Amino acid sequence: MTATTLIDACAAGIVGLGILLAVTRSIGRSIWLVAAQSALGALAAIGVGMTLGLAQLVVGGLLALGAKAVVYPLVLRTMLRASSVSVERRPYVGPRLSLVAAIAIVFAAGTATSDLALATSLGGTRALPAAIAAMLTGLFLMMSRRKALSLLIGLLVFENGLSLAAFALTYGMPFVVELGVLFDLLIVIVVGWVYARRMLRVFGSLSTDELRSLRG
Amino acid sequence: MTTIALGAVLVPLVAGVLVWFAPDRLAGRLAVGAFAIGGVGAVALAMPVLLDRPLRAFGGVVALDALGAFVLIVVVAVAVIAIAGSPAYLRHERALRPGDRGRYWALLLWFVGGLATVPLFDNLGLIWVAIEATTIVSALLVGFARTPAAIEAAWKYLILGSVGIGFALLGTLLAYASSVRLLGETSDALDWTRLFSIAATLDPGLVRLAFLFALVGYGTKTGLAPFHTWLPDAHSQAPSPVSAILSGATLTVSLYALARFHLVASATLGPSFSSTLLVAFGLLSLMVALPFIVAQGDLKRLLAYSSIEHMGLGALALGFGGPIALGGLVLHLLAHGLTKASLFVAGGGLVEAGRSRRIARLSGSLAIAPVDGRAFLGGALLLSGLPPSALFVSEVAILFGGFSAGWGGAAAGAAVLLALTVAGFLFHVGRVSFGTARRPAGPGAGHAPLRAVGLAVPLLTVAVLGIWTPDPLAGAIARVVAVLGGHGG
Repeated sequence: MTATTLIDACAAGIVGLGILLAVTRSIGRSIWLVAAQSALGALAAIGVGMTLGLAQLVVGGLLALGAKAVVYPLVLRTMLRASSVSVERRPYVGPRLSLVAAIAIVFAAGTATSDLALATSLGGTRALPAAIAAMLTGLFLMMSRRKALSLLIGLLVFENGLSLAAFALTYGMPFVVELGVLFDLLIVIVVGWVYARRMLRVFGSLSTDELRSLRG
Repeated sequence: MTTIALGAVLVPLVAGVLVWFAPDRLAGRLAVGAFAIGGVGAVALAMPVLLDRPLRAFGGVVALDALGAFVLIVVVAVAVIAIAGSPAYLRHERALRPGDRGRYWALLLWFVGGLATVPLFDNLGLIWVAIEATTIVSALLVGFARTPAAIEAAWKYLILGSVGIGFALLGTLLAYASSVRLLGETSDALDWTRLFSIAATLDPGLVRLAFLFALVGYGTKTGLAPFHTWLPDAHSQAPSPVSAILSGATLTVSLYALARFHLVASATLGPSFSSTLLVAFGLLSLMVALPFIVAQGDLKRLLAYSSIEHMGLGALALGFGGPIALGGLVLHLLAHGLTKASLFVAGGGLVEAGRSRRIARLSGSLAIAPVDGRAFLGGALLLSGLPPSALFVSEVAILFGGFSAGWGGAAAGAAVLLALTVAGFLFHVGRVSFGTARRPAGPGAGHAPLRAVGLAVPLLTVAVLGIWTPDPLAGAIARVVAVLGGHGG
């Protein structure tokens, strides 16, 4: 298996999981899905690193696997258990329309990147449109959901798209930068946790509907 | 010498861990000590660069040119004002629990320490990492008061800030992709100095996209409209000393990151692409800020929207380019940082003593709170760009620079918007300062000599700089302008 087919296979999986996330209303299941999506991204890095003999890709991939596919989902599950809601009951956009939107995003990302001159210079992988699609799906999730946890999940999907883009464009960023990005993501999740707990205490729910007092 | 100074700059970051766990009465002293060491180190690093020549250390990981050194000085100056204002905030804040003081000081150390590392890095990826890290740490400070409104503001800031700056990471990636093809997978392919030196040969398509995403990402952090929606909430709900840093230093640091991308984009694509976008978003920010300033009822939101206005003007100046507008920009960022930080501290004092943010309920503050009231009025007059404020000089320079660089229409539009904004701003300031007092003079209103000095020094500095520019400062500004003009420094 060449590096290119491996990347393409993982990219396809990432897009597929993004569409599944868009139609899932159970927050618990969403956490597993986003963990699987993160794992695919990390596996792509490890696989390509081993094929091409790039040690830093393997190490970065392993770190990403541990952080994004194991630790962050566990933190999210802990948050979920602490709250009483486990289902995104009334998202702004329902599952059927979300499915349509998620598929539309994939096609839009594909067409938008197809006429870019840069697509040709990337060694023929289709990972860039997949990365853009994952980023947009993450944004869509964040805009269409109400629960604080769903927003954090959307942010993780957005970040999975970003890492895939990093991978598609350059086989990853310099190692220190990768480390820094993972570290930043960790503190976003931790601070998100802190605020989710405060929301539970002050508003009694994790719904961002409560957050509408600041205007003008 | 450089190593010692660099080590000193990192002291606040390390000391934060200690301060977090320190008992409440010790935390403040430990933190101020750590800040002092860091501040001295930062000044020791920046001064030789501003007066003489750029610094490179540790194999190019640390690279400080005049622009970076200038931003470092602004961060230090604003931090001093915020630290001086912190004890009064902690005395007035009623929601504090045991251990909160230590946490406040620790977070402040990480926030300021993180901001100070941004201009030290040459690597655009590390610049991103540092800015994002400060965003998240400051989100904890924004919601420090634990009120529902503070939680709302902090949540919006965390989520919108992270997504917004995610786009800046994509921009950074695209810049990396453009240089990797020329340089190969070397670790310095993301170094700004390296990128800038080969900018003319980079792939224009990639660089164009890189700048667009950097504009959205760092534009969000700079508070440029239409990506500004988090800013009034975060800057108004945060503890006032934190608002001071957010407005005075964080926005400046973000504009700095954007300027780095602008310089590369101009060198690759010619000046018109990124300049036009900066001018457009700058004007839009001035337009968006105007109605919210005129119709504002909340004192801290008034100051927050004024920051959007001033950063819009900053983007405009960066877009105009040319030595006059860029010189104006440099002076503007310094003077805005000093003035806005003092205003947030003084205005925060009024808000905390008056137990309300509503402008209507704070009237007559000049009579009630002599120190904070006078500082607020003086700072507001300076911020409005009335002579002898340095902001008068900088705004005239920016607008004049715009006219002489062929941006006549944009400069004229900006002048009209600025005049209207100032009128609206001063109307509210008048209501706060004069008018009938709603309550008797509070305790501690008349005897705060240290606070008076802490507020008077930065404000007087801004007033003096409006009349007289010392030669070393003029030389330093010229060096910063040389970097911003693409001539190295």
